[in-house]
Amino acid sequence: MTHTRIDINDIPKPDKTVRIEGTGRQALEQGRTRLLIAGSVFALAFCVIAARVVDVSVFDRGAEPNLAQESSNLAHKTGRADIVDRNGMLLATTLSVPSLYADPKSVMDPVEAADKLRTVLPELEREDLLAKLASDKRFIWIKRNLTPRQQYDINRLGVPGLYFQKESKRIYPQGRLTAHIIGRAGFDDIGLSGIEKSHDSLLRDGSEPLRLSIDLRVQHILREELQTQIDAFDGIGAAGIVLDTDTSEIVAMVSLPDFDPNRRDQISDDALFNRASLGVYEMGSTFKIFNTAMALDYGTTSLSGGYDASKPIRIARFTISDYHAKNRWLSVPEIFMYSSNVGSVKMALDVGGERQRAFMEKLGFLKASAIELPERGFPMAPSPWRPINTMTISFGHGIAVSPVHLANGVAAMVNGGIHRPATLLRRASDELLVGERIIKEETSAAVRRLLRLVVENGTGRNASAEGYLVGGKTGTAEKPGQGGAYRRKALLSSFVGVFPVTAPRYVVLAMVDEPKGNKSSFGYATGGWVAAPAVKRIVERAAPLLNVAPVDEDAPEIRRALMVKIPEPKGNKALASF
Amino acid sequence: MVRRSTALWLLLATCAGITLFLVKHEVQEREDRLNALHSEILDNQEAIQVLKAEWSYLNRPERLERLIREFSEERPADRLQRATLDMLPQPLNSDGEAPLTEAAHIGGIVLPMARPVTVGAPQ
Repeated sequence: MTHTRIDINDIPKPDKTVRIEGTGRQALEQGRTRLLIAGSVFALAFCVIAARVVDVSVFDRGAEPNLAQESSNLAHKTGRADIVDRNGMLLATTLSVPSLYADPKSVMDPVEAADKLRTVLPELEREDLLAKLASDKRFIWIKRNLTPRQQYDINRLGVPGLYFQKESKRIYPQGRLTAHIIGRAGFDDIGLSGIEKSHDSLLRDGSEPLRLSIDLRVQHILREELQTQIDAFDGIGAAGIVLDTDTSEIVAMVSLPDFDPNRRDQISDDALFNRASLGVYEMGSTFKIFNTAMALDYGTTSLSGGYDASKPIRIARFTISDYHAKNRWLSVPEIFMYSSNVGSVKMALDVGGERQRAFMEKLGFLKASAIELPERGFPMAPSPWRPINTMTISFGHGIAVSPVHLANGVAAMVNGGIHRPATLLRRASDELLVGERIIKEETSAAVRRLLRLVVENGTGRNASAEGYLVGGKTGTAEKPGQGGAYRRKALLSSFVGVFPVTAPRYVVLAMVDEPKGNKSSFGYATGGWVAAPAVKRIVERAAPLLNVAPVDEDAPEIRRALMVKIPEPKGNKALASF
Repeated sequence: MVRRSTALWLLLATCAGITLFLVKHEVQEREDRLNALHSEILDNQEAIQVLKAEWSYLNRPERLERLIREFSEERPADRLQRATLDMLPQPLNSDGEAPLTEAAHIGGIVLPMARPVTVGAPQ
């Protein structure tokens, strides 16, 4: 390959240089300057554009929000945390639900639109709907809170002028079942009662579900059996509690009549009232559990002791007599078994009013219970504590406590003597249980044997759920009427049971308000006839769920553990193995 | 020489610029996709919440009880039919008749084994 070099000298020089002089030259110079200025302006503009392109495409600008970062928080916030039962079943949740509204201006044919809509929402009145769709407003609610399916169906109708607005709504999938425990939240998701109110701020801030100690299955059993008793004995209400004796967790708590928290408009005041925690009642004979435990623990009497219950006690204008009168000397186990008021009064008088008051105070019967509800009843206790009060309190009159108090107190009597405040929240399995000792271990064992005696041979026979060793005490209190006089016909029949009595796991309390006797109960409306059968069925149905295995009630070791010596009046003691 | 290296640098710079531009675009596209996924996840979570509520509603004990009554045999399980493992008779081991416990073959006789406790036959 050869290069042809061109020498600078080879280029022929122009023969002539054209020189333009004068005005011609001036014009040319001017043109060149203009070209230069225009060129540099364009160059500058291109530079600016280039810089801007780099700026826009390469550098991040604050004016352009980074969307990915904005929604990187993936936690689904509903505005209010869920509430679940001890097994994680949903009790309350917040959903964002669509509500249907119309813009009547863009509804083309109101009649057709109304007819189409009514195929999906047949509950809407045709006239009403027509009037709404034909009005000349720009916004009108058709129906609030639709289900997703309804929304889908309405969208499929393809009616113009119908729109959806998302709203958050508190839903209670279990409806009535946990109504009094969960309570309800009103508009704007503000807690109005129950856990919804007491844990309002926690629920509003948190996204973790709140776990309760309630077991939905036991709750259902309790509610159903109480309802059965109300229907059978024509009661005006009922309350029931199932409580873990060791942890004092409330596994089930029911108050009837109840309400459906999903239907805000149909709630009556009577249904809202929580009989289990807010109502305080004179509990009647179930208090003899505490009276006997107190006397045994202070040592003023023993299981082999006894009192003369042959004559009613007269004090001031009152007469204290026995319902199941035996009219003879009764041993302590017999006083408990036959629920003798006279014997109980004498037992309490031996202990004395001051010590009785201290005992009640230790049990928490003089202050509101500890459960996590705003509806907590304050007990009614006498002040000053007169001897007549000591006498009536021994058999459960003259002091009014809530069913939660009672169940919690009984748990302390049978679990070895330790009182732990009742709770509605699930305790962590490693939580250190703090409690206060109220009675001695031996006293608690004696109370357990006495409770079994009542179910085997006394007033609580109807509560005997075979295989589960139920022990318990009946209670039948007359309700005070207007003016303070007791009404013989208005009763509060209750039964508080524990099972299995050899090593109690659960306390079951059933209480029916103003039951009326019927044929099946031979006209009786007492605790033994009204509440005890309910407890029996509750134990039978709930025990397998609570993992309590049935045992052979006649096994010798169980017989021996529950044996109670009943002293004979004459002094020669008979061995009784009830 | 100077000219050639200048051209090379220019080429490199152009390549880098183009790559940067493409990467930038890719990132933007992926961010859009991420946003779409995020909103989809939120939608799904909302749907899951609805399904959870429905699940809880369908699991009402009262409804389950009704369904059991409707669709299972009419004989409810007797609570006394429950047994634990140690209530069962001891099994034989795999190679023969010898029971697992020593007490069971004193003198070569197989003794009656522990039977489930009976808690009284229901009427």
